[in-house]
Amino acid sequence: MTMDFKPDIKLDETFYKVKEVRRLTEETFSLRLPKSRFTYHAGQHISLGIQGDYQSREYSIYSGENDECLEVLVKEVEDGYFTPKLSKLKPGDLVEVNGPFGKFKIDEKKTADHKFVFVASGTGIAPFRSMVRTYPDLDYTLIHGVRYGKEAYDKDEYAPDRHILCTSGDKTGKVHGRLTKYLKSASFEKKTQFYLCGNSNMIFDALEILKDKGFDRDQIHCEVYF
Amino acid sequence: MNSAKKKIAFKTLGCRLNQYETDALVSDFDKAGYEVVDFKEHADVVVVNTCTVTNQSDQKSRNTISQAARNNKGSVVVVTGCMANNYKEKLEGEDKITYVVENNRKGSILNLVDGHFGGELIHPEKLHADVFSYQVVDKSLHTRSAIKIQDGCDNFCTFCIIPTVRGRAVSRPLPQIIENVKNTLANGFKELVITGVNIGRYEWEDKRFEDVLEAILSVEGDFRVRISSLEPDGFGDDFVKLFSHPRMTPHLHLCLQSGSDKVLLRMRRMYDLKQFEHTVNLFRAQYPDFNFTTDLIVGFPDESEDDFQESIDAVNRYNFGHVHTFKYSVRKGTRAERMDNHIPDKIKTERSTRIREASEDSRDRYLNSFLGKTETVLIEGINKQQVANGYGEHYIPVHFKAEGLEKNTFARVKLVKVEGRGEDARVIGELVG
Ligand SMILES: Cc1cc2nc3c(=O)[nH]c(=O)nc-3n(C[C@H](O)[C@H](O)[C@H](O)COP(=O)(O)OP(=O)(O)OC[C@H]3O[C@@H](n4cnc5c(N)ncnc54)[C@H](O)[C@@H]3O)c2cc1C
Repeated sequence: MTMDFKPDIKLDETFYKVKEVRRLTEETFSLRLPKSRFTYHAGQHISLGIQGDYQSREYSIYSGENDECLEVLVKEVEDGYFTPKLSKLKPGDLVEVNGPFGKFKIDEKKTADHKFVFVASGTGIAPFRSMVRTYPDLDYTLIHGVRYGKEAYDKDEYAPDRHILCTSGDKTGKVHGRLTKYLKSASFEKKTQFYLCGNSNMIFDALEILKDKGFDRDQIHCEVYF
Repeated sequence: MNSAKKKIAFKTLGCRLNQYETDALVSDFDKAGYEVVDFKEHADVVVVNTCTVTNQSDQKSRNTISQAARNNKGSVVVVTGCMANNYKEKLEGEDKITYVVENNRKGSILNLVDGHFGGELIHPEKLHADVFSYQVVDKSLHTRSAIKIQDGCDNFCTFCIIPTVRGRAVSRPLPQIIENVKNTLANGFKELVITGVNIGRYEWEDKRFEDVLEAILSVEGDFRVRISSLEPDGFGDDFVKLFSHPRMTPHLHLCLQSGSDKVLLRMRRMYDLKQFEHTVNLFRAQYPDFNFTTDLIVGFPDESEDDFQESIDAVNRYNFGHVHTFKYSVRKGTRAERMDNHIPDKIKTERSTRIREASEDSRDRYLNSFLGKTETVLIEGINKQQVANGYGEHYIPVHFKAEGLEKNTFARVKLVKVEGRGEDARVIGELVG
């Protein structure tokens, strides 16, 4: 007896025309795509392909759930395979979007009575911009670690008292040094929900600091880029 | 097709999901009037259900395809499974292969083969794509039947090729699962193995993995339930409560992959050793001899001697009943392929040997701890000397004298002696009462 069940057809592979390429620094840019029917939760990522290329890479969604565009934030990696190609894209070029994927999301039940601490290195800020834009009333603190102050992507969108920029290569940040230096000195409420995003070395160090401070692994959510 | 029954042979490589899918195809072809023969015999159709999880599985799959074509000149050679997805174009270009069928169309191979013999040449891409449209498996094959509840994975672990070849996570609707369970039990199966690529990620309407398990446990019948393999972050603390159900077997294959938190993060595995330990302790507090088995990858890029030692320590600490160790092998297109500091093969081999030793010691200790205890064994086979083999509820392989007993029945067996080591280890028992 063959099952007569047929799964709903889901549109999860689609080509999108690049709408805009927004240059943020010499190496970093955002790609804006039309959102059309694409729905996602803040914090999730997509996999992005370029027409005619067999490779794809994952990118956190940089736009809020209700924004007009689907946006990703990309840093061009020297000697990387994919980002130099992405960086050459022009409005009208086609990219393939798969997803959304991932469990790195805000627990809606906690938004009203929990504090949120977002810890990002470099482009790891992407999911947090999406969360902040999606939940305007969120009680959050964003700790962003970069080398130079110019990498504080879209800094003006965050309330100054919620945005803690840590710069290790110049003195333009609120904190001079790595974000882990700040984390060690800071204190947080017991029930705080932590979200860590970026490279695995930063996440490992931040996890150790938070666990040393007595926070439970269950209240620390991680998204590893590389 | 009665006068000249077409002969068909199957060969399966890799995981339990693949095995289940082959079993379902065997039942499909059997019902349709084909004669299912051993892979070594000459057949009109040979189906090779491949695996691509490591380089070694690619190699084995390739060898099996060549063997199938060589032994069955002029026959229809169908290649399916994960390698068919991973190297589709390359395989399609090989003369010895008649059809390459991707995973999501595997369930329709009978249509393809029937069409072929009827002179109707269908391109596999035209076949119906549905990862759950499989026959209920026939009892003659095994005593345990897999119940497929989910397919695909989108965790994007950095070492893993599976998201590319099995696609994104999809869950089978619960009513379909329950119907499949009932039909499988009606076919006489006594043990159901809940299977999928990442079953902890089950999500259908408001139902999660625990709900599926609970629903399956409440189906009527004389059977027991086993869980094939689970990610350590695929359930909450309440999960342990389900194991108090008499049909539930006290065994979990919980994939740790590394004992080092640093390596786990680079693998993009979002749990740490402490959480894993929490689960082990939670279960063992209630069920002290609960069997945890696991997978460990050795020699992941940049794995230091200290990282590796943490994996060894984990093996020594958690009293695993079995550890499946994999020497890390690069899969093309994965994130780990692009990582720095790949470990030289010599070191990987040396670490594999060390961890295998520790794993075998652990298995030995675990099995020995059961001597004098009684297990309920599901008899899988009885040889000419009337020695039965099967697994106890803790997934302990047991051999015992079983005069007068039958295959696919439960027997209470007292465990008396461990024989062999590692994969070959088994416990000799005596029938009780
Ligand atoms: C879930 C997920 C979400 C991601 N989201 C983003 C995102 O929002 N923005 C983004 O720019 N990247 C993101 N990445 C990384 C991205 O997928 C690519 O790896 C990256 O764009 C580099 O691709 P590449 O082919 O040029 O270089 P690759 O050949 O893939 O990588 C080469 C090396 O570049 C370094 N590297 C990778 N990503 C970065 C980065 N973001 N910043 C600095 N160095 C890096 C690493 O050392 C890596 O080994 C994400 C990765 C994952 C797994």
